[in-house]
Amino acid sequence: MSLSHLDQSARQKAAGGRFVAGLTVAVGLLALAPAARAARQEPAEAGTVSANDPLEGFNRGSFALSMGVDKVLIGPIAHGYMAITPKPVRDRVSSAVYNLGEPNTVINQVLQGKPKRAMRATTRFVVNSTVGVLGLFDVAAKMHLPRRDSDFGQTFGYYGAGPGAYIYVPLMGPMNVRDGVGRALDIATDPVGAVAGGISTDFGKARLGVTILDGRTSADPAFHALKDSSDPYVTARSAYGQYREAFIRQATGEAEDLPDFDAPPPDASAPAATSKP
Amino acid sequence: MMTLFTTRRGANAALLAFFGAVAIGAPAMAQQARDPGAEAFVQTKAQRVISVLANKGISETQKKQIFHQAVDELADVPRITNFVLGKYARTITPDQRARFAPAFRTYAENVYQDRIDDYKGEVLKVTGSVVRKPGDVIVNTTISGGQISQPLPVAWRVLGGGQTWKVVDVQFKGVWLAITQQQDFVSTIDNAGGNIDVLINQLQKGQGAKGR
Repeated sequence: MSLSHLDQSARQKAAGGRFVAGLTVAVGLLALAPAARAARQEPAEAGTVSANDPLEGFNRGSFALSMGVDKVLIGPIAHGYMAITPKPVRDRVSSAVYNLGEPNTVINQVLQGKPKRAMRATTRFVVNSTVGVLGLFDVAAKMHLPRRDSDFGQTFGYYGAGPGAYIYVPLMGPMNVRDGVGRALDIATDPVGAVAGGISTDFGKARLGVTILDGRTSADPAFHALKDSSDPYVTARSAYGQYREAFIRQATGEAEDLPDFDAPPPDASAPAATSKP
Repeated sequence: MMTLFTTRRGANAALLAFFGAVAIGAPAMAQQARDPGAEAFVQTKAQRVISVLANKGISETQKKQIFHQAVDELADVPRITNFVLGKYARTITPDQRARFAPAFRTYAENVYQDRIDDYKGEVLKVTGSVVRKPGDVIVNTTISGGQISQPLPVAWRVLGGGQTWKVVDVQFKGVWLAITQQQDFVSTIDNAGGNIDVLINQLQKGQGAKGR
C-alpha cells in the first residue's frame, strides 16, 4: 500500500470520526428538541414589525457590510458567471451542487422518522450520481422522484424548536440560532465531506467555491427584490424567516398561519420593533 | 467514490427498483376543501399575465402597459394597499391615503411584474387549493417552461367567492410578497417616528432602495 493510500485512509478515518461525533451531537440535541417546543415563537401580530432581533444594531451593520462586499466583489463575479455561461449549463452546476447535499438530506429525513422520503433521497443520490453523471443531470426527477431537501435546521424545527434570535452573519447571510446550529451540524456530519474530503482538501475548496457561486446566482432574484424595498434589512429578515418556516412546514405538514387581510391591528402606537425573548 | 458505487451496485439496483416503484405508486396527497372557482380564476388570469411577460414578440413598454391593465383583473389593489400599511392603515389621513395609493400602485406594478418576470416561466399549472375559510383560498400552482429547469411552486392567496376572485398576495419560495412589503413599509414608518409621509415620499421619488 502506498503512502498516499495510507494518508488517504488516515484522513478518511479522521473524517469518519468527525461524522460520528457530529451525528452523536445531532442525535443528542434532537433528544432535547421537544423541550424547545415551548420556546417556539408565536406568530407575529399582523401589521407590526415583530421579530426576535435583539442584535438589530449589529445585524444592520453586518448586513450593510455584506451588501457592500456583494456589490463590489461577489455580485460582479456572479453576474460575470451568468454572462458567460448559458442557463442550461448553470442548471447542471446547480444540480451537481444539490446532489452533493442529498446524503445530508437522507440523514435528516431518517432523524425525522420519514423512511420513505429518506429512501427516495437515497435513490435520487444513487441515480443522479451514476446515470446522472455525478449529479449534473437530475435524472431521478424524471422518474417521479422530485427534490425534497432537508437539513438539521428543518429537523430541529420539525421537533418543535423555535428559530431563536435572528443574526446576520457577516459575509454569510441571514440566520437564526436554530438554523445556525443546524448549519454547523450539516457541515460536521456531511457524508460527502467525510468521504471525499472537507474544506482542507482541494475537492472541499472547489466544492465550497462552486456552492457559493451557485448560491449567489440562484439568489439573484432575491437581491433584485432587496433593491426594490424601502428597508432592505427588514425585507431580508422577513423573507428569510418566512422562507425557513415554509421549509419546516414542508416537513411538519402544518398549515401556515396567515394574517387576516382586512383587519389591521388597532395598535398604531406600538413600539417600533418589539423583540421576543 | 466510484468503488463504493461499484461494490454496492446490486443493492442500489434493488433500492432503485423498490423505492422508485414506491415513489411512482404513492398517491398524491388529497387536498382537503379545494375551491374549483378560485383555481379556475388563477389558472386563467395568472396564466394570461405570465404569457404576456414570456412573449418575446412584445416590447417591454407594451408589456408594462398590458400588465397595468391586467393588474385590476387579477389583483385587489385597494385591499393590498390597505394591508401593506399594517397598523398605520388605521391612522393614515385621507390626504396621505390619496397620495400613498397611486405611489404604491406604480411601485407594486413594477415589483410584481419584476418578481413574476425574474423566473421567466411560461406555463402555469394549478396543483391544488386550500380553503382557509370561506372566501379566503390559497391556490397552489407551479410555473414551468421557459428558463425554469425545475417547476417553481407559486401560491396565490385569493379572496372572493363563486366566480369572482381577486389575488391579494403571491408566494415565491415560501415568501409572501404583500406580507414582506408590509414589514418593509411598517419598519420604514416606524424608523421615521411614525411619519407616513416619509414612506410616501420614498415611493414617489424612486421606488424604494432603487431610488436612493
